[in-house]
Amino acid sequence: MSIPSWSSYPLPGLRALSFIGIEVHWAILQYVLGLPFMTFIALLIYLRTKNGKWKRIAKTLTKGFIILFAVGAATGTASEFGLVLLWPNLTEAAGRYIYFPLYAEIFAFMMEVIFIYLLWYGWNRFSDKALVAISFFAFLGAWYSAAMILSVNSFMQGPPGLKPAFVPGPHPKYLYSEGYPRLTVAVPLDILHLLNVTKLLSLGVNVVTHNGKPLTVGLTVSGVKTKALVITMPVSIVQELVREGFKGFLLKDSVLVKANLINSTEIKVLAKNPYELHRLITIINAYQYVPATYLEGTSTTLDPQQLGQVLLNIPVKNYLDPILMSTVKYFGYATITFKSPDYVPTLMHAIGSALVVSSFTAFAGFSLRLLRSKDLDEDYRDYLRKALVYTAVFAAIAIFYQGFISGHEMGVAVAHYNPEKFAAIEGTSAHFKSIAGVLHLHGITKLLAYGSMRYSLPNYDKIPPHYCQCKLTGYPSYDCRPPLMIDYTYYGMVFLGIIIGIYGLIVGLIALRDRSVLIDKLLGIFRINSYIWKEPLARKILSLSLFMAFLAQLSSTLGWVTREVGRKPWTIYGMMTVDVASSTNKVVHETGPLVAIALFYISLLLVLIITAYKILWKSSERR
Amino acid sequence: MIGAAPLWLSIFFSLHIVMVNLGIGLAWLVPYFKYMADKRNDKDLEITARELMRFYAATYGLAGVFGTAFTVFLLSYYPRFIGAAGHIASVPFAIAVTAIGVQFFSIVAFWYGWDRFSKRTLYIIGGFLALSALLIPFGFRAVFAFLNIPAGLEATLTPSGIKWGLNLVAALKNPTFAPLYIKSIAGAFTLTFVVVLSIYLYRGLTSSNDDIKERSLKIAKIMSEPSIIGLAIMPVLGLWYGLSLENIPYKFNNIFAPLGLKVGDGIAYYNVGWLFIIKLIFYAIQVIGVLAAIRFLQKGSKSIKALSLLFLVTAALAMGTVASGELLNAYSQYPFFIASWPNVMTGSISLSTLVHKYGVVVYPHSLNSIRELVNYINSFVLIDGSSSARGVILRLTRKGLDPAFLDLSLNSVNRIAVTKGVIVLTTLFVSVLIFFAAWLLKTAITPKGELYS
Repeated sequence: MSIPSWSSYPLPGLRALSFIGIEVHWAILQYVLGLPFMTFIALLIYLRTKNGKWKRIAKTLTKGFIILFAVGAATGTASEFGLVLLWPNLTEAAGRYIYFPLYAEIFAFMMEVIFIYLLWYGWNRFSDKALVAISFFAFLGAWYSAAMILSVNSFMQGPPGLKPAFVPGPHPKYLYSEGYPRLTVAVPLDILHLLNVTKLLSLGVNVVTHNGKPLTVGLTVSGVKTKALVITMPVSIVQELVREGFKGFLLKDSVLVKANLINSTEIKVLAKNPYELHRLITIINAYQYVPATYLEGTSTTLDPQQLGQVLLNIPVKNYLDPILMSTVKYFGYATITFKSPDYVPTLMHAIGSALVVSSFTAFAGFSLRLLRSKDLDEDYRDYLRKALVYTAVFAAIAIFYQGFISGHEMGVAVAHYNPEKFAAIEGTSAHFKSIAGVLHLHGITKLLAYGSMRYSLPNYDKIPPHYCQCKLTGYPSYDCRPPLMIDYTYYGMVFLGIIIGIYGLIVGLIALRDRSVLIDKLLGIFRINSYIWKEPLARKILSLSLFMAFLAQLSSTLGWVTREVGRKPWTIYGMMTVDVASSTNKVVHETGPLVAIALFYISLLLVLIITAYKILWKSSERR
Repeated sequence: MIGAAPLWLSIFFSLHIVMVNLGIGLAWLVPYFKYMADKRNDKDLEITARELMRFYAATYGLAGVFGTAFTVFLLSYYPRFIGAAGHIASVPFAIAVTAIGVQFFSIVAFWYGWDRFSKRTLYIIGGFLALSALLIPFGFRAVFAFLNIPAGLEATLTPSGIKWGLNLVAALKNPTFAPLYIKSIAGAFTLTFVVVLSIYLYRGLTSSNDDIKERSLKIAKIMSEPSIIGLAIMPVLGLWYGLSLENIPYKFNNIFAPLGLKVGDGIAYYNVGWLFIIKLIFYAIQVIGVLAAIRFLQKGSKSIKALSLLFLVTAALAMGTVASGELLNAYSQYPFFIASWPNVMTGSISLSTLVHKYGVVVYPHSLNSIRELVNYINSFVLIDGSSSARGVILRLTRKGLDPAFLDLSLNSVNRIAVTKGVIVLTTLFVSVLIFFAAWLLKTAITPKGELYS
């Protein structure tokens, strides 16, 4: 069996370009999420202790995120345009159905801009309490922004109403042959009547029941009050309809016609009932496809065959849109993304990642300054020591939280709602040498994911390679399972996390020296219980800090790669595959422009690193 | 609350476009002042260049914020339009976005390298700054011209959907592109000159510090000539763009028919002549302001208070002229995203004109394909379905517009993005943020020690 690799999915060039663009943005914005929070805490300590060194620490941290925020805003704009140009169908779907968090994020962005710059310009102008309040809103703005954007990303990983195909247990069940995974969909009755329900049920569509009765909900679609039946639909059918809709298929070329899913009796009914026909055309918003005489209500009987032809020449998208809109309204148009089972763990984990990266980087900055500067006056040295203690303890707490709390929650969510990704992460294929398998980690993984070592992990080989394929059209023809390479990226992330975790623990303990007998004894074991920052071993530990900050960034990147590559071939799980999301413009698919833009982005990142180094490091070195 | 969509877009676009225009002018003015300061060893120019650079960095940031807000609002209200634009206009958008990136790093490098880099290096960076400032509108104005006439549009219809493309050469040959782009650049320079002139004159008149007074008047003197030249050129370029709109009778008549200039059927379906008059009034006051400035700089005056007020008004109206011009351009095609579309649909621009004159290509070449494409475009071409829009459509149906547009307009806006709750929330949030933004600006511009002491 060939191992599905990252490049075997469609459009590797576009995906690589998106990776570069979003990774540059993500690498920067982690500091915008983490440093303002660290500033806020430092200012709180300053308010309590009235020790000016804490205010100085806060000022240094502020300087860091001011520069990075400006760059983050610029790369964010570029990423936004990148999404529109490379993945216009995804952008359109997001704007149409899950616009609310994107819309609300704009206010978060404005809040960030105002309070972050207010903090900077007002540093010497506001009272201490006002500064604390402003720094609170500065980090809140950044976190609010993350909460909105990550809800959209979580929706793309696992939409609400998702019914996974794997039921964990000592004897797990694989439900792929029963039409799982499924998505919950609300179909307006006006459209449902057009379809052959018996045939649909035979294809694996299930009706959701409530108190033993089919669940219907009243809602308004295209300004028409209607009822929608709530069903669960195999993702293989959902993705096909979404593909046909967003690619611009007409109904006559659709699987709905090819598989005889159209109810011709209903067309005859509509031909005799202009009111119902008008209602349907309103709901599917397809006036321009229907002769005006059909809608005037003057002709009581239309030729069913002619009407059938008219309806067949309407794009699939017109029929699909009310279904998706009803589904969105069923879940709540403003809340649907927040109901993703992936959302809370994602938010916790992303913020955790930002805090880890920010604190390790800040620690690295302060420790290098201490190590490399000679003839420091005692006041400055004392400031640096305080900053080191603060950032070291912060880093230790952050990495503990990230590894044991948010990381665990994230893993549990993936195990339950993305079993295909989970199987790939664990590399549970007999034809693949996985890190987890080599190191015999599956037992601990079962315990962490399911709470019992008797449970079984999803077996990659038992997941049908074409579980997402619509059998009636044969699309998509590629493997629907995520690439097994994410086993390496995931465990790469974990091992790097462990390394920086151990490092964080050591520096955290060192920072808390003399504050607890237990800690002092622990430090004694490592022979670092004298005046720590001067001791050779301690200096060696500090000299590793920059490398650790780099590892923290790398670990975070590998985590994102696991998450995003592990979603392949989906762009929105169960709905839209990557090739459907992409632009049809031929320029976008040419290698030359893609490489040029990728190089441009990489050069921007290099310029940023040089700028940050010069402004943050060199300028303070001169002082 | 359907009308809320164009309203919010107008507000954010106006704020964005004013900042962007100032940015284009400053991207040239700052390196120029720096160069002249070095060449003449002129400290006044050096200080001014620094002042303007600080202001430029702030406007660039704010322009970015408002631009992002505008884009997301546009996406939320009109997702189908944005989706189609993403497919079609990849190249012009890519030019603009790449130039935005170059400009951002040029700003950072120019600012950081002011006293650190060699003069030669700094001037080269200044060159990038100036060049990128021209490239950003080059990309965006190509898109705006496309929204006038979809020149260069390519569509291949297959059973598995539509594949989009854009013939860049045909798109740049769009008769509205060159006048729109050149007028925009000239407008941006004129705005910057007039604003800098007015603000420095105001400062020169009101400052109690003799050094600042002297320097401000010196800068004003430098800016006075380019300002009046810019103002003299603008009507010519405006006329050029106006004449190019003769290719789009719907848009031309909406602006000029109420003033007696007509093409085609000569009917203003959505009268925006009043906005054109407002723009002219703003322009006239600007001319008066600049002439008064020149006179004051040559001969002096005793009415300091009145003049300082006039110069403040002149600066404000210079920005108002740009904003009103942009809104005029947008509203004159209301309620259509593509200005020429009502003319296409009523037959005053024939499909063969689109094909032969504007390079629109549809594969396979058949009437059916064109009909299918037109139907597809109809599905996202409308801006909203407010009563005024429906009034326009109703009148156009008498001229042959497909009556289906009346019904289509009902769902042209993404309804879930304009619910009452969302609009009220938006209004509240923006109001609070504007309050804090004002606080931020006050904090930023007040000298240290004078605030909250």
